[in-house]
Parts: sequence; C-alpha cells; structure tokens
Amino acid sequence: MSDNRYAFIFPAFTSDYTDHPGRDIPGFDVRFNEFLIKAAGYTDPELAAFHFLENSFLDHELRTQYITFSYSCALSLLLRKAQLYPAITAGYSMGIYAALFDAGSVSFETGLELIKLAYQSLHASLNNPFGMGTLIGLNERDIQQIIEQASLRIEITNQNASHSFVVSGYRDDMQRLMELAKEEGALHSRSLSVTIPYHSRYLEEGAMNFAGRISDLEISAPQTHVISLIDQISLTTPEIIRTELVRNLFHPLNWYATMEVMRAQYVTQFIECGPSQALAKNARFVDGIRFFPLSAMLP
Amino acid sequence: MASITETIRNEVKETVYSFFADECEVDIAQINDNTSIINDLDGDSLMFLELIEIFKKKYNLDIELKVIGKYAVKHPVATIGQLIEMQLLIIEHENRLLDLEQ
Repeated sequence: MSDNRYAFIFPAFTSDYTDHPGRDIPGFDVRFNEFLIKAAGYTDPELAAFHFLENSFLDHELRTQYITFSYSCALSLLLRKAQLYPAITAGYSMGIYAALFDAGSVSFETGLELIKLAYQSLHASLNNPFGMGTLIGLNERDIQQIIEQASLRIEITNQNASHSFVVSGYRDDMQRLMELAKEEGALHSRSLSVTIPYHSRYLEEGAMNFAGRISDLEISAPQTHVISLIDQISLTTPEIIRTELVRNLFHPLNWYATMEVMRAQYVTQFIECGPSQALAKNARFVDGIRFFPLSAMLP
Repeated sequence: MASITETIRNEVKETVYSFFADECEVDIAQINDNTSIINDLDGDSLMFLELIEIFKKKYNLDIELKVIGKYAVKHPVATIGQLIEMQLLIIEHENRLLDLEQ
C-alpha cells in the first residue's frame, strides 16, 4: 500500500454527464465501454445503448446506478494503472459498491448483483410514494424542528456540510418540507428524482430482505482502508462489510463527519471517482481538504 | 452595525469578481455587474453560501444563514451587481437585516 494521503471517493449516481471527467482521460472510453457491455450482458441489455448525451438513462434510477458503478470501476482501474493508491476509500451512499470494488472486496459482477438486489429488495418493500431532497442554509436543529412541528414523515439522512443536508421520506411530505424550509430561510431546497428514501428507517424491512439475499455472495477483506459513512469505522472484514452493506440502506449517513475524520488522519487530498464533481463542490466547506480533478491525476 | 466605506465597497466588489472568476473558470474581464450568476456563470447556491462564509470571516459578521435566506426570498439575487449590494447590506446590518423589511 502506498504511503500517500489520497482518499478515493466514489459517488452514488449523477444527475448530469455534461462535463463528465472521463472524456479528458486517455483510455477511459475503452475501459468504460468494456464494463458497460459486461453490465448489459449481466443485468440489463438496454445499457448497451447508453450514450452520455443522447441516451443517458438519467430518469431511470437503477440503470443510472449501474452506469455510475461501471464508470467508477473504469476510473478505479485507470488510477491503479497509474500507480495511484488511496490511503482511504469511501463510498458515498450507493457508491459503497464501487468503493468495495476498488478495495478488492467484490468483483465487478458481485457489485452489479449487490446493486440489483438492493434495488429490488427496497422497491418491493415500499407501498407508498417516497422521495428525497436537499436543503442548504438551515442547520440540523432548524430542519428537525420543522419536521416535528408539521408532523412530516421525513428524516434527515445525510449531512454534507455544516448547513447542507439530505432528507428522505414520504413524497407528499417532502414537497411540504421544501416549502416550509424556504419560509424558514433555506437558501436552496430541491427534491431529488429518486423514488426510494435511501438511508431512512422506511427501508428497514427491505434491508432485512436484502441481507438474506446477499448471504451467498463472495465478499473478501479489503486491500485498502475503507471507511463507513455511518459511524466512520474501518470496514476490515467480510462480516463487517456485509453488515455495513445492509445498514447503509436504512441508517443515516454523515459525509461531513467522514471528511473530518479523514482530515484528522491527515488525508486531505481527495479524488472523486465518478461522472460528476458534486462531492468536490460540497467539500469547499471543510477547511484543509482539497479535491483534485481526475484529469490532473490521469493526464 | 458597520458603515459601508468606499474601501469596503471596493473590497466586496473585488472579492465577488475574483471568487466567480476562479470558481466558474472565466476571465475576470468578462464579469460585470450585469452578469447573470446562473445563466452566464453557471453559478449555484453553494457558491452563494461559500461567498457568505468568506465575508463572515473577513468582517467577523454575526449573522445566521436563515436570516439571509428569509431576506433573499423577498429580494432574489440574479446578477453580480445585485449580489454585491446584498453582501454590503449583510455587512452593514448583520442579524438585523430583516429589520429593513419593517
């Protein structure tokens, strides 16, 4: 393992491919297409028709996850080929599968299987319209107060920065929360185009079903240090990873705290290994952390 | 409450122009007070938040973000010039910004 201070960060999925970093990286297209064709054969033949601008499947929740996973795995291989190794790896939300691929814990095929089983298990367990949203400008106490006072079936499910939060819950209540948050002084509020309330207690039943379905999948001990976004522990053994994969679905995350823990371990140079730079933008609010563009790492 | 001197006005303008030139990777000469933050610079609310944090530190301001949010709902900012004016009001009035509404 290298003694560098890089963290490789794997995002969940993107909402835009316009400026995806892979387009400037030599060899990316070949790697990505290899993974995409493999994913199409293994999961969904329609994936073979993917195109960044003309047929991006951005409105298809599951395909977008497969594509982002394939994208991240291609970048992982290119980083390794360039002799770049992380001090710590983190998977943001559903980016955990790519982080585990990068760490050598799961194969590409197992990663696809995990994505499919998680989506199927969660989807089957939900019988109401759900959604997610982002709020910027309020603190946790303010948001919690709005939720409680209006009796909204919503939870805070991630903190991205001191005043930037993700929320999950019933879709009807989500719209109400966005309106109330604006009245309370949120600088920005937006519903996300997802139908699964990731990282909320509403997914516990689905997560338990997922746990039963992944028991036979091959998961190895990671070759690099992978950190949990839930409580920032190290995911060191296959058993811990299995537990993490399940609780990652229905426990709140704290990305802000995770960045702080990595910084405390002197890991300050981050590389976002995915199709957008959304996490890099959020990191502007954590002193001492610097995101490096992939094009600078893989010239 | 701080009074806005010509020095502060120039500092704010310079900081805002430099910030957007840097964040949005555009030549500072292409930015003027009528530049649209969203349409011309592809700016976003995180940039606005970051800029507020910069001024909070620089001028040691006592202001809650939600006070700014409440003010911004009634006085939306679209251009660089409007943003500079709002930052000057924030520096001048801090947490009493909403008193301007009365």
